[in-house]
Amino acid sequence: MTSRTTDAALTPPAATILVVDDSPVNLQVLVRTLHGTGHRILAARDGRTALDIMKRARPDLVLLDVMMPELDGWTVARELAADERTRDIPIVFLTARADPADRRLGQQLGGVGYVVKPFDPVTIGDFVEGVLVRIERGERDELKRGISSEPDR
Amino acid sequence: MTTAESSEAADRARRLQRVAELLAEAVTPQEVLDAILTEGVRAAEARAGAIGVLTQDGANVELLAQRGYDASAVTGWSSFPLEAKVPMSDVIRTGEPLFLTSVQERNKRYPMFSDRGQQNHALVVVPLAVEGRVFGAMSLSFDREIEFEPERREMKLTLARQAAQALARSRLYAAEQTLRERMTFLAEASELLASSLDYNHTLKQVAQLSVPGLADWCAIDMVGPNGEIERLGVAHEDPAKVRWAYELQDRYPPDPDAPTGVPQVLRTGKPEFFPELPQELLDEAIGDDEELRRIIDELGLKSTICVPLVARNRTLGALTLIAAETHPPYTEADLALAVELARRAAVAVDNARLYREAERGADAARALAYVADGVALIDTSGSVLHWNPAAASITGVAEEEALGRQVSEVVPAWDALTSHVPLVPPGGDARPVTVPIVLEGRERWVSVSGVDFGDGTVYALQDVTEEHALEKTRSDFVATASHELRTPLAAVYGAVRTLRRDDVELTDADRAQFLEMIESEATRLAKIVDQILLAGQLDADAVEFELVECDLEEVAAGVIDSAALHVPESISLDLSVDGAAPIRCDENKLRQVLVNLVDNAVKYSPEGGRVELRVRSENGSCLIEVADEGLGIPEDERERIFEKFYRLDPQQTQGVGGSGLGLYICRELVERMNGRLRVESEPGKGSRFTVELPLRR
Repeated sequence: MTSRTTDAALTPPAATILVVDDSPVNLQVLVRTLHGTGHRILAARDGRTALDIMKRARPDLVLLDVMMPELDGWTVARELAADERTRDIPIVFLTARADPADRRLGQQLGGVGYVVKPFDPVTIGDFVEGVLVRIERGERDELKRGISSEPDR
Repeated sequence: MTTAESSEAADRARRLQRVAELLAEAVTPQEVLDAILTEGVRAAEARAGAIGVLTQDGANVELLAQRGYDASAVTGWSSFPLEAKVPMSDVIRTGEPLFLTSVQERNKRYPMFSDRGQQNHALVVVPLAVEGRVFGAMSLSFDREIEFEPERREMKLTLARQAAQALARSRLYAAEQTLRERMTFLAEASELLASSLDYNHTLKQVAQLSVPGLADWCAIDMVGPNGEIERLGVAHEDPAKVRWAYELQDRYPPDPDAPTGVPQVLRTGKPEFFPELPQELLDEAIGDDEELRRIIDELGLKSTICVPLVARNRTLGALTLIAAETHPPYTEADLALAVELARRAAVAVDNARLYREAERGADAARALAYVADGVALIDTSGSVLHWNPAAASITGVAEEEALGRQVSEVVPAWDALTSHVPLVPPGGDARPVTVPIVLEGRERWVSVSGVDFGDGTVYALQDVTEEHALEKTRSDFVATASHELRTPLAAVYGAVRTLRRDDVELTDADRAQFLEMIESEATRLAKIVDQILLAGQLDADAVEFELVECDLEEVAAGVIDSAALHVPESISLDLSVDGAAPIRCDENKLRQVLVNLVDNAVKYSPEGGRVELRVRSENGSCLIEVADEGLGIPEDERERIFEKFYRLDPQQTQGVGGSGLGLYICRELVERMNGRLRVESEPGKGSRFTVELPLRR
């Protein structure tokens, strides 16, 4: 069972994806949706747990909610950047903040994707797949640049 | 000397005496002429007499009066050249009297009179002179032939001397009289002109004053704001004729390019004077219009003067004087008077206009002094021409400091303030631009618009710092509110989309869990929407309060009872009432506040504990306290929790969720019921929120 449409040859066999969201519903939805992609899915309900997991597991991609109590997504991103072990982990921000100023901040903090809530879980799988493929192709900088112009989903 | 001769001499002396007495009584030239031509002619035993005088230019002889001649004899002789070979001209030219005994002698000397009537026989023409200067002549015609002996001659010469003196005196008197009248007229006109600033009115009065003494008709025309000719007033003794003149003006409006009359005078600024209105001029004006010809004929225009009203080299209008049915034709003296009258009228008009302008200027300055917007007038070189008090207050630069100086020097931020302001021409749509600038170390938001009027720019400044802050708060509120809504919406949407998928396997338990989550997120969404609306209404001051006496104990008990239905078992709810005092409040709003405070107390007591609602009175106030043994609030956040969308979200409470507006709304509601809401807390030991409402007196 899969919803993948991407060319299988270009897709890494299986990636590790960390999903971080304080809302149990959103976490459930993301985990269940991405589960079908064949990738290994990890989940965290707060920023502190997410940082711990990333230091240990070095995921290939993190889907990071921004508005979380205590450690918000921006802070998590800053801490990742400050640590050599986690500096290169690509981040896709998930947020209800749609301001251009927030997109710019996401760009500055090394995001490779910016998804505005509410998003459609049906397409999120393809989106994540696309990001993984382009990272594999070495198009990380292009992904970063695209953040400020990417439409809301 | 014979008896007859002596009696004749005595008789002549008596007659001369009688004439002298009459002449002494005569004052006006007309009275003098009447006396000469009645008693004088009779005293000379003549049948007819005439008096002619030199015109002012000395070129012609004008026949002033005659008596006894046939109309046919004098027709065409009202005026004749001094050079003419006729008796009167000869006598005036030479100063020598002429005594002709018979018609034959006359015809011999003046053959041109040969065909004239024969009833005049002897003819005497004597010069009229004063102080050796001949100014006219008197002719006497007799109905018989007379040999003029020396005595008779002497008698005629004496009569001429008396007549000359009386006539000269009366003419002098008349001239003086005229001069006095003119001076009086000018004085009266000046007084009228000075009496009011309403020159429209005073000029009309001056026109009225001019008839009939100075003219049969007097008209005043002014140059309108767009150069058009406006008839200000027409005067005639007869009001019906005035009405008629206006009708005429409507039917035959003046041609601004007309080569004569008012348009010509207004164009050139030079007077136009027709002592005798030339018929060809009238013919030209009339053209083929028979109706107009009838009207002009009826008017009987004789002579006109049209003078410009000129002040400070500008022609403001024209004054027209017309001699028609009664007034004698105009002379140079009349023209001089008209010019002087026009000059005074023009000065009065100019003064009135200047005064009005100055007054308007003063009104404008007054308006600018009180207007709330800053107004700055900057000339093309960047120098300040006007700086009103509001401009001074917005920029912090006083008027006396700014005037005459370079605006960029006195206000360093001026370029930043105005460089993006689109300048429009006068009457254009001056769109204000709102610019942030730092003035005297404070950031101010100033709305600026500019109008370029050629000689400079007028800027309107408005300090919109407060409006801007309010607007920012409002847009921040909208941004934050939309964000607050997106989060639960995202959960609901995501859950529903997932439930509807057929490529994701879900167990019945999974589905039930999703539906439960959808329900709770939707509930939260509804609550947030309610609170956003309420906060918006509070901000707009659109919430109505119904302050009534209420039973506090009952309200407090109701709040505890409903909370008890959903609190976790680890929480114990207590209510204590130490004598409920009567208060006035909106019961529903107070209940809303207490429910919120109790919910918060429960929410922030994750480890459980006691939540107490206590009612008591103290120092004229009613105190309602909600205390918990929960997490407490750090000191630096104790005031911030009452801000909109500020949320104290310790890790342990994640997922509880709220709108971030609860405490903001609570405080607003309490304050609008004349109360206060405050908090005391010790982190780790709990918090106590106190609603203080005034006791009902």
